[in-house]
Amino acid sequence: MYPIVLLSVLGIVVLYLGFLKSKSILLPATLLFLVVAMIGNFFEWNDGELLYFKGMFAVNKLTLTFNAIVLFSAFMIVAMTQGFQDNEEAQPAEYFALMLFSLVGAFMMIGFENLIMLFLGVEILSVAMYVLTGSDKRNLRSNEAALKYFLMGAFATGIMLFGIALLYGASGSFSLNGIESFVTLNQRSPSYLLYAGLLLVLIGMLFKVSAAPFHFWTPDVYDGAPSIFTAFMATIVKTAGFAALFRLLSHSFSGIYDFWWPTLSILTVLTLLVGNIIAVYQDSFKRMLAYSSISHAGYLLIALTSMTKQTENAILFYSMAYSFATICAFGVLIPVAREKSLEGRPNESYEAFNGLAKNNPLLAFVLTVSMLSLAGIPLTAGFWGKFFVFSSAVERELVWMIIVAVLMSAVGIYYYFRVIMAAYMKEGDTATIRIAPFYKIVLIAATLLTILFGLAPGLFEAAM
Amino acid sequence: MNTNYLPSDFLPIIVQFVLAAAFIVVTMIVTHRIGPSRKSKAKDDPFECGIEVVGNARTPISVKYFLVAILFVLFDVEVIFMYPWAVNFKKLGMLGFIEMVLFMALLLAGFYYILRKGVLKWEE
Amino acid sequence: MLTILLVLIPIVTGLLALSVGGRTVRQLALLGALAELVTAVVAWTQFDPAAGTQFGFKYTWIASAGISFSAGIDGISLLLVLLTTFLTPLIILSTFGYDYKNSSAFYALILFMEAALVGVFTATDVFLFYLFFEAALIPVYFLAAVWGGENRLKVTFKFFVYTIFGSLFMLVALVYLYFQTPGEHTSEITALYDLILDAKTQSWVFWGLFIAFAIKMPLFPFHTWQPDTYTESPTPATMLLSGIMLKMGVYGLIRLLLPIVPLGLAQWGEVAIVLSVIGIVYGSIIAIQQRDMKRLIAYSSFAHVGLMAAGVFSTTLNGLQGALIQMLAHGINVVGMFFIVEIIYSRTKSRYLDHLGGITQKTPHLTVYFMILLLGSVALPLTNGFVGEFLLLAGVFEYNNWLGAVAGLTIILGAVYLLRMFQKAMFGAPSAASESFKDLTVSERAVLIPLAIMVFWIGIYPSTFLKMTEPAVHQILRFINS
Repeated sequence: MYPIVLLSVLGIVVLYLGFLKSKSILLPATLLFLVVAMIGNFFEWNDGELLYFKGMFAVNKLTLTFNAIVLFSAFMIVAMTQGFQDNEEAQPAEYFALMLFSLVGAFMMIGFENLIMLFLGVEILSVAMYVLTGSDKRNLRSNEAALKYFLMGAFATGIMLFGIALLYGASGSFSLNGIESFVTLNQRSPSYLLYAGLLLVLIGMLFKVSAAPFHFWTPDVYDGAPSIFTAFMATIVKTAGFAALFRLLSHSFSGIYDFWWPTLSILTVLTLLVGNIIAVYQDSFKRMLAYSSISHAGYLLIALTSMTKQTENAILFYSMAYSFATICAFGVLIPVAREKSLEGRPNESYEAFNGLAKNNPLLAFVLTVSMLSLAGIPLTAGFWGKFFVFSSAVERELVWMIIVAVLMSAVGIYYYFRVIMAAYMKEGDTATIRIAPFYKIVLIAATLLTILFGLAPGLFEAAM
Repeated sequence: MNTNYLPSDFLPIIVQFVLAAAFIVVTMIVTHRIGPSRKSKAKDDPFECGIEVVGNARTPISVKYFLVAILFVLFDVEVIFMYPWAVNFKKLGMLGFIEMVLFMALLLAGFYYILRKGVLKWEE
Repeated sequence: MLTILLVLIPIVTGLLALSVGGRTVRQLALLGALAELVTAVVAWTQFDPAAGTQFGFKYTWIASAGISFSAGIDGISLLLVLLTTFLTPLIILSTFGYDYKNSSAFYALILFMEAALVGVFTATDVFLFYLFFEAALIPVYFLAAVWGGENRLKVTFKFFVYTIFGSLFMLVALVYLYFQTPGEHTSEITALYDLILDAKTQSWVFWGLFIAFAIKMPLFPFHTWQPDTYTESPTPATMLLSGIMLKMGVYGLIRLLLPIVPLGLAQWGEVAIVLSVIGIVYGSIIAIQQRDMKRLIAYSSFAHVGLMAAGVFSTTLNGLQGALIQMLAHGINVVGMFFIVEIIYSRTKSRYLDHLGGITQKTPHLTVYFMILLLGSVALPLTNGFVGEFLLLAGVFEYNNWLGAVAGLTIILGAVYLLRMFQKAMFGAPSAASESFKDLTVSERAVLIPLAIMVFWIGIYPSTFLKMTEPAVHQILRFINS
């Protein structure tokens, strides 16, 4: 609860700080506020299960851990913005404030106990993202991306709202508990209104986490948005989206598992296939990351579809590992693309990475670890993420889904290794790229965490 | 008050809908049929107070108009929240009052932000 | 304690090597590898073959899932740990005559590789086993892809994807087995031995594991990555791959496949053994036609590993013991041969038999070592290859006479291609390339002498090693037959 209040207020403070002459205070202030929110987050750590707003919003260890992942990711991403000092047209105060506000939306999605709260959270998060996507005003592709995202997103939230209305119509309640008791009471005699409502809500949410076949916006939007906000979208929106999906399905609808798992499993397989196979054909690293984010949505969906005891842990660990690795990948992409810029635009193709390791061993190493983690190679956090996901699927014995996932993991190695090969084994001349010390620290910290959780995944559990 | 409605209790509403739609459709068809229809070039032109058409309709309009329009919509919608509060003023009591003050403070904070951003400065 | 030390020494030395630049890094790496060898020998002296798994180490890893970092050494592990720790210093020493760019990373990767290999051979938890099994791939991939030959990118990439792909199936099979353990799930290997699974389940678990190991070894028809990778990799990486890493596959068969899915083996063992035997003949025939020495040895290695697999799948004492001793022998011989090819290549700039010839006249020393290693490979009595192949063939004959007869071709065909290579490269009139062939340097001799000694030691007195592994092999056989 504290982080929601804190970030709502501090977001306004950031807006006002923007009126100061010196813009250089914004970055440290925002980082400080995120730390404050993180501390506030842990105030309720030992309080067990709490309810707020007449039972519309819940706080427990699971939501707090998701919050912490989201906050930590946001901290790293904000640190990597470098305060937009070098860009005259940028509006750093507004960007930072929007990021903080969108985090509030993410928290609401993570802890909702009432579908209204879910809808509010989704909207708060999305509206901020629409604006940030289009923040590169002079770039046609950024504008296109923002418009696309907005239109598609509006449709998706519309569909979701319709679904919520149907759920209300069926069960007479917006609250998860109310729907749950309706579901358990009427397990024998199915209510088609409920089924339709659930499907529509699922469509809305799956759109947000870019699962196939609701993924068509993802590559264009991820590609068009400024890289830093793409990183934000790829990590925080996804984590919050899956937290919300998990909450919805594990809580209210566990009683009709037999109804939704076949649907979800087909979408899962489709997402895995689409994400991985199209990623292979990309020439732009950034676009590849967009498809990779689709494919990771697929892996997370596996955990969701199997819905065993393990799922909670699997989703938590996977989204953490994925977030850290993705942030590292974007953290390397941004300076490299800027260094290699073509005609004033950042060069985000694979070729930009050729010969990176020669003069920038640190960047190359960070990139390698993040790619290994995304590919799920052992000794990185990503491996354990996959491990937990696969285990939950094995426990449910979803054999054909596992086979597809294994095949697609092998495909994944192909496109993730392309950039490693470019960095280490291809000829190219990249001058030593100057990176701010704090940026460097963030990159190193995320990389070390990826390796640390790869060596000792038990640590994460111990912290829970 | 009876809280258990059957679907059939909603029948009057449906009838109302059907009647409303039918009225529109019927009126349109009837006027189309019985009215005389003569076409000419002058009649196809967009009507501009009898003055001859000048230029293209798609002229760029200063973004200030949009800003003002959007701000109007924003504050207008938020003011709507005052109505339910006013109706339940007594019932919500002190807590409701504090909540409303907070809400207004947030609105004012937004308003101050707009002023400082110079959105309402028309001359520049 | 010794076990964890065995894993840690190379990692620590590797990290040190990364932080130390310049020329001292090779000495440091060699020192670390030697310290590792000493530790392994200490473990050997304290080892009691009859006492099962020793020097156990256990650290809870993921408490809620019952997965622990547990390692220990039994006879089979010890044999392979000794092989690894014996070969690694020699491989490092073999690089002393050559300059590798970015050498600190190069040596660090070799040491990390050693740590992962030792980890695979000592792990007593399946997930730890899997982790090391995969982790071993990363250093060798980078060794091959960064320091390799012209075509390296494509070739090593195929190798990487191929092997990862195989082991993912193993992972799924292992996770499945893990969930079958009763009560609080555990992933101790011995707990999996006790599982009772029906024949159908065993059959698909068998394939999950078999494909992973078959790709790693490699067995026919999963071998297509192997010749190219061996040829394109820098020689130290080739030595690691052929000398030690392919043993991971055979070790996995013995440690996991045989005892966990005996019923699966009963259903599919024949297919596996036939594939192995096809590999023997196929590899040998292709080897005969090779003109590139490195490629020739790569195919010979493919043929030899086929025989090892056939021995393992015969599930007889002789077959298993033969496979183990042959792993040791093959590791020594193949590393020696690849090194000799590298020596020849560094002096003549060619590995093609047509360009070589008459080296004997320039350097009799090299000829002697080459001859010893070669005879070991063609399994002449009193050399290490003889013991291994004899036991292996005995095992396969026990299983089926016809298959034994076909597998026996390996000795004849092996003699054909190896002696042909030797004769073309070493004898005849000196070619233009080998005209100015320099004699062996001190460090080159320091590599070849220990290898030659081992060829004879194992050949003349194999019971040192056979006794070491026999109780462990008996235990495995008990699980198969129970």
